[in-house]
Amino acid sequence: MERSYRWGVCIPVVLVAVTACDFLLTGPPDDGDLFDAPIPGLTTGELAAFVRGDEGFGRRFSPAEGLGPIFNQAACADCHSGDGRGRPEQALTRISIGSDLALALGGPQIQDKAIPGAQPEVVPDGVDISVRLPPPVFGTGLIEAIPVASIVANADEFDADGDGISGRPNWVLPADFVPADEPGGGTGLQLGRFSRKAQVSSLLEQISAAYHQDMGITSDFLPVENRNPQAGGATAAADPAPDPEIDAATVRAVVDYVRMLAPPAPGDDTPQRLRGSELFTQIGCESCHVREFQTGPSSVAALANQRVVLYSDLLLHDMGDELADNRPDGDATGREWKTLPLWGLRVAREFLNGDLFLMHDGRATTISQAIELHGGEAATARNAFLALSADDREALLEFVRSR
Amino acid sequence: MKRLATYLFVSIALGAPAIAVAQVQDTLPARPFVRGGVYDRPYLTRLLGRTVVGGYLEFHARLQRVDGANEDSGFEAKRWNIFTATEVSDFVRVSAELEFEEGGEEVTLEFAAIDFRIAPTFTIRGGMLLSPIGRFNLAHDSPLNEFTDRPLVSTEILGTALSEPGIGVLGLFPVGSGGRITYQVYAVNGFHAGLIEDSPDGTRIPLGRGNVEDNNASPAIVGRLAWSPSLNFELGISAHHGAYNVFEGDGLRVDERRDLTIGVVDLEAALAGFRLTGEAALANIDVPATLRDIFASKQQGLYVEVLRDFGQAWVATLPASFFSVGVRLDIVDMNADRPGDNTRQVTLGINFRPTEDTAFKLDYLRGTGRDVFNNPADHAGILFSIATYF
Ligand code: HEC
Ligand code: HEC
Repeated sequence: MERSYRWGVCIPVVLVAVTACDFLLTGPPDDGDLFDAPIPGLTTGELAAFVRGDEGFGRRFSPAEGLGPIFNQAACADCHSGDGRGRPEQALTRISIGSDLALALGGPQIQDKAIPGAQPEVVPDGVDISVRLPPPVFGTGLIEAIPVASIVANADEFDADGDGISGRPNWVLPADFVPADEPGGGTGLQLGRFSRKAQVSSLLEQISAAYHQDMGITSDFLPVENRNPQAGGATAAADPAPDPEIDAATVRAVVDYVRMLAPPAPGDDTPQRLRGSELFTQIGCESCHVREFQTGPSSVAALANQRVVLYSDLLLHDMGDELADNRPDGDATGREWKTLPLWGLRVAREFLNGDLFLMHDGRATTISQAIELHGGEAATARNAFLALSADDREALLEFVRSR
Repeated sequence: MKRLATYLFVSIALGAPAIAVAQVQDTLPARPFVRGGVYDRPYLTRLLGRTVVGGYLEFHARLQRVDGANEDSGFEAKRWNIFTATEVSDFVRVSAELEFEEGGEEVTLEFAAIDFRIAPTFTIRGGMLLSPIGRFNLAHDSPLNEFTDRPLVSTEILGTALSEPGIGVLGLFPVGSGGRITYQVYAVNGFHAGLIEDSPDGTRIPLGRGNVEDNNASPAIVGRLAWSPSLNFELGISAHHGAYNVFEGDGLRVDERRDLTIGVVDLEAALAGFRLTGEAALANIDVPATLRDIFASKQQGLYVEVLRDFGQAWVATLPASFFSVGVRLDIVDMNADRPGDNTRQVTLGINFRPTEDTAFKLDYLRGTGRDVFNNPADHAGILFSIATYF
């Protein structure tokens, strides 16, 4: 009796104290609303690694610490806002001449900033240009763990089924430094999964290159500083930090962190959203935005054999003239783009101060604009969307918005 | 008997040095052990009793959160600062402050200056100077502040305590009845390029401090002019201007000259039992064009605080004790070139002072910071601190 009385008093007091604490000292947002939450089921050791990697992802470099000599931004988090997408101000410009990466002209990526004494690159004349908005980085560990066979199973390069949609994998050669036992590594061509044309096969390569190209930070994987070939040799000032500026463990910590980032939870099912979901299948969105996959084995137990509801086939599609950048990337042509996963859209605006930027270069600012931009293989689905009644169209949009 | 002999022997042995010292002192300064050595300094030989030593000590306990996650919480042995001041002669005064911050992690000579007083209107000062950039930089001792933390504009933009090697003049002119105008103007080493090159977070002026050997052989000018018609009011304006980068080498122009200019207005007033203090600062930084967007070329900030004392001798056993309550608003924009990268916060504080020189401070602060994407994050904190002069 006395015991239960004590509990009766204690529980409300504790609850009030905890809420008062949140009230006084700010409360955390829901995990499902975050882009930087860990996937559920990690061990404490994995969570400790996650926290270490999170620091690396947020770390900005000063010129004295090795930033540059030429670069785009000073931290991963300065492009991938809250681990989500970036704004057009942070978009990268990639250049090439056909399949030649135009290295002598500053390709494959223009670094438009430089530390004092160095000269930034400018886009040269007569090259193919592709502008790329930073995509979200959450959920990439799940994407990495989907078996190659499951993804390739959806490919239909020559449109054998005659539905006008011919998803194609991007087979790419991994960089030399990617060990054979790394997911996406190995001898010969590997399935590309990352970046906007799926031109990268492993997170390790994606992230080592991000340090090297986007931030001018050399690592054990890419130890030679990226310089501006447009500047004369004598004026190519370097940062004062000795190379490599970070070690393999630092890169690996960030790879592990990104790998363990969970996609945010979708919104609750409402009758309107359920209707939208049906329409999504009916009008053919799902032919490319494949609803879900199952992961295979993974070095992180919590990533293995999981359902991944990402709404993407991770394949390349010809999206028509309007979206074409006419710049090939790996095996991808200048008209092809990787189907984007539809996740995190529900809260994406919260990480862009209320704005939203969609598609590879961020040119669409609403979901319906993004759909209207679909051409090429997606023209039939787009037209079907435009032909929907106002109510149905709203239901479909509401479904996509709530992902 | 034997015991007594031992006792006498030990006492004489122990007493001997005292006798010896007395003898040495009698003969001072006839022949020092080392001429100019540690026991042959003027404060022992000539100025005896004229050097005073003091200081202050400050301890913090903090609980802070950003969007529900703990940040910067725990105990801090924040500062132990020691002062000395000496009247060398009727014209010459020397004073110094040595700061031990964060449990001794940072030790800095914050101030060490010689004043040569020619007239009240004109004193020459040289040494490690406290830069007259806003009133707060000149008077920021923790036992004096009513809040645990210094204003954000002072810590984030001006880099209080900002001290620089330099030389210049100061003085005061009486105006009206009881009013005065004070001025200070110095040539100093100024800032170095660390405010950009050592900073991962965009332009951070405090990282350009510590230009102990001038990096560019080009002095900066800093000065403050303050008008105070009565004890209850003072209005000051100050400015700091100079090149921060190395632009010449071997007599050749090796880079563009890049200047940093800071302007500050400060105000202090007392009215109807309330004390009002405030400061607003604007900084213009010439940033290399290749770093625009990431490194700010303009920063601004202000703070305003209102305070009231009460409860004099409420604690009956401490007749000199009193309480104060106060509220402070802080606004800083670390990159005024574009949206985001700014902070606003309000701090509520209550203090108890057993005597004027010692303060027990309890603060609650709450605010919103915006990152480079202009996304907001709420922060809050409960701070407790003790600070006392000694
Ligand atoms: C200058 C901006 C910028 C910086 C800095 C940057 N990224 Fe990226 N990131 C991008 C862009 C743009 C892409 C897409 C590139 C493409 O499509 O060619 C991308 C792609 C990615 C991807 C692939 C996501 C996917 O699903 O395809 C990952 C993972 C990633 N970045 C992680 C990082 C990490 C980790 C860092 C820091 C080491 C970093 N990025 C730094 C702009 C940036
Ligand atoms: C032929 C394959 C295909 C079909 C069919 C298709 N999409 Fe897409 N979708 C893509 C590709 C590829 C992209 C990325 C385009 C780019 O990067 O510019 C994309 C991008 C999007 C985006 C932007 C996501 C973001 O994060 O920027 C949305 C929203 C979207 N699709 C919704 C739909 C809807 C709704 C339908 C059905 C009406 C649909 N898509 C049909 C291939 C397709």
